[in-house]
Amino acid sequence: MRNSLLAVLLLFTAPVLAQETIKIGVITDRVGVSKPYSEPATEGIVFGAAEINRKGGILGRKVELLIEDDQSRPDISAALARKLIDQGAVFILSMSLTAATQQQQTVTMEAKMPQMTPMNSGDTLTTQLQNPYFWQTGPLGSIQIATLLAHARAKNLKQVALITDNSDLGQLLAKFFKAGLEKSGIKVVADEVVARGATTATPQMQKIRAANPDAMFMSGVLTAENVLIFKAYRELGLKIPIHSSYNLSVPVYMTVAKGLIDGVTFVDAYDPEKPEVKEFETAYKKATGKDSFNLHGYGYDGIMMVGEAIKRAGSTDKEKIRAAMQGLAYSGVMGAKGMTYSFPEGKRAGYDPNGMVVRIYEGDKQGRVVYVGQK
Amino acid sequence: MQDFLELAVGAAASGCVYGLLALAYLLMIRPTGIINFAVGEWAMVAAFGGFLLLSKLEWPYPLGMAAVLGFMLLVGWATERIAVRPLVARGAPLIAPILALLGMLVIFREIVSISFPPDPHPVPYAFGIGRLDFGLLGGSYQSFFIIGVTLLVFAATWLFFERTLAGRMFEAVALHRRAAALMGINLFRVTALSFAGGAGAAGLAGLLVSPNISAHYQMGVPLAIQGFTALVIGGVGRVEGALLGGLLLAFAEQLTVRYAPIPSGFAQGVPLLFLMVFLLVRPTGLLKARA
Repeated sequence: MRNSLLAVLLLFTAPVLAQETIKIGVITDRVGVSKPYSEPATEGIVFGAAEINRKGGILGRKVELLIEDDQSRPDISAALARKLIDQGAVFILSMSLTAATQQQQTVTMEAKMPQMTPMNSGDTLTTQLQNPYFWQTGPLGSIQIATLLAHARAKNLKQVALITDNSDLGQLLAKFFKAGLEKSGIKVVADEVVARGATTATPQMQKIRAANPDAMFMSGVLTAENVLIFKAYRELGLKIPIHSSYNLSVPVYMTVAKGLIDGVTFVDAYDPEKPEVKEFETAYKKATGKDSFNLHGYGYDGIMMVGEAIKRAGSTDKEKIRAAMQGLAYSGVMGAKGMTYSFPEGKRAGYDPNGMVVRIYEGDKQGRVVYVGQK
Repeated sequence: MQDFLELAVGAAASGCVYGLLALAYLLMIRPTGIINFAVGEWAMVAAFGGFLLLSKLEWPYPLGMAAVLGFMLLVGWATERIAVRPLVARGAPLIAPILALLGMLVIFREIVSISFPPDPHPVPYAFGIGRLDFGLLGGSYQSFFIIGVTLLVFAATWLFFERTLAGRMFEAVALHRRAAALMGINLFRVTALSFAGGAGAAGLAGLLVSPNISAHYQMGVPLAIQGFTALVIGGVGRVEGALLGGLLLAFAEQLTVRYAPIPSGFAQGVPLLFLMVFLLVRPTGLLKARA
């Protein structure tokens, strides 16, 4: 009799216990082209979720991450978004490539599921689809070029070269870079592409040398191909200044392009002197025993913003979370000192246009901030 | 003119890498008829071997290179024993080992992808970063090193097939497997040696190119395609065809990017165009096997 009573009690309480956690879906890339970026950013999410849980969770409930791998493939990313919705996720964080994130939106828009990408930089994510349930907090490509241009403006550039790779994102960023440069009255005298899997970038760099530009802008995102560019630059004895996209902010260049990057300036969303960054790096090291860098910060800020939105919503009701997210103003690890993410006037790209910095490689080390914002 | 000569050295080095990959295909296709697309992944495995021994453990370059090549011979031999021989022994059709080797391609890539962090890893140059000039002809130390090593390998392979009894055995198997077997040639041994040699050639290509492109888990497929295209251009009949195909492909790629009045993005289509033209017009490649 007593056993039967216990069984009945368990039958009624089990669903309540199962609902104890707040499930947040994460779609990342563990084996595809975005793996070098997606993995550390996802580690930042995992660390952030552990921090939230260590401090008591959200609304008295623990956060549970449901992590899926879409290999940055748009054809499977939408199905994974649907799977996460079926599993009870109340928010989805998209951590693979822009094209895959875009594809997930077709599902989240229809299901009215809050979704955010803390790291994608394609400008089109919030403009191609009017999806009120989607936000983007990574620095947009257009902000990157505007910041780089503002920094370069003082140098009185008249004509520049542009070089990229043939990845989707590399091409997209090159488009933004070119449009921004031409809008500023700077002539693009060489526009080169290094294909994925190339074994040399010498012909492209020879063309750039022949065009005699004042500087070279790099918008590629494939590390190996960018290293090829640096090697050809060095081999051909070029001396023009190099200004790069945020891709050069990934620390791997300090080892894989050793001896090749001194003096290269790059856009970053990370200021190592910012107090929040120092605090984050210390906590991450203490918790994981590993060093963190900017990509970890993207993921960390992402999960923290989601947590904050759910807290402000006061429930896991998706409509309330949407409203809370839209009204959020949040200062985190990423961005220049004092930067705040916000979504005023219905905007859904929340990175402050003046929140990026330009840093310089000093020797093989990522060095000081040499410029802030785009004013 | 200086531009062209500078480009010629770089293109020749790239062509040599493609040639070595084509040679890897050829060594296996000639005696067995099996196309092994895992050659790109073998190159990747060797590149990671270079990263481990030369970058991490800082072995002397000749010792590290020899160790990696020895390991690759073993990898090739083991691949044949695991993925090819059981199928051939059971009389499976030719497509069966080709599919099994595609499976091995995925296995090699995933093992590396799981075992190493996802970022590209540096592999040192044999003679450091530097430039060598002979009058107008100039290029990096590594370019000249790649060209030198490749020429040695092709010369040795040519001599092996033309001047040694073992090489003649390979040719006999390539001409007629059943007749060769009836003459007392051990077919399994020839197949195993061809896979070991193929892995050695592919591994050498990976090791030589990795200081430029770094060791990363996605480097295999582009190399496999470039090597295959070089093989189609040069033909599977003769060793020197592999090198010729590689050089033609690399020069076509790089001269198009540098001099053709088209955006460099479009120049990426050149290898594909070459592949299609040769498959349609001259599927046997430029050099035919000797009668």
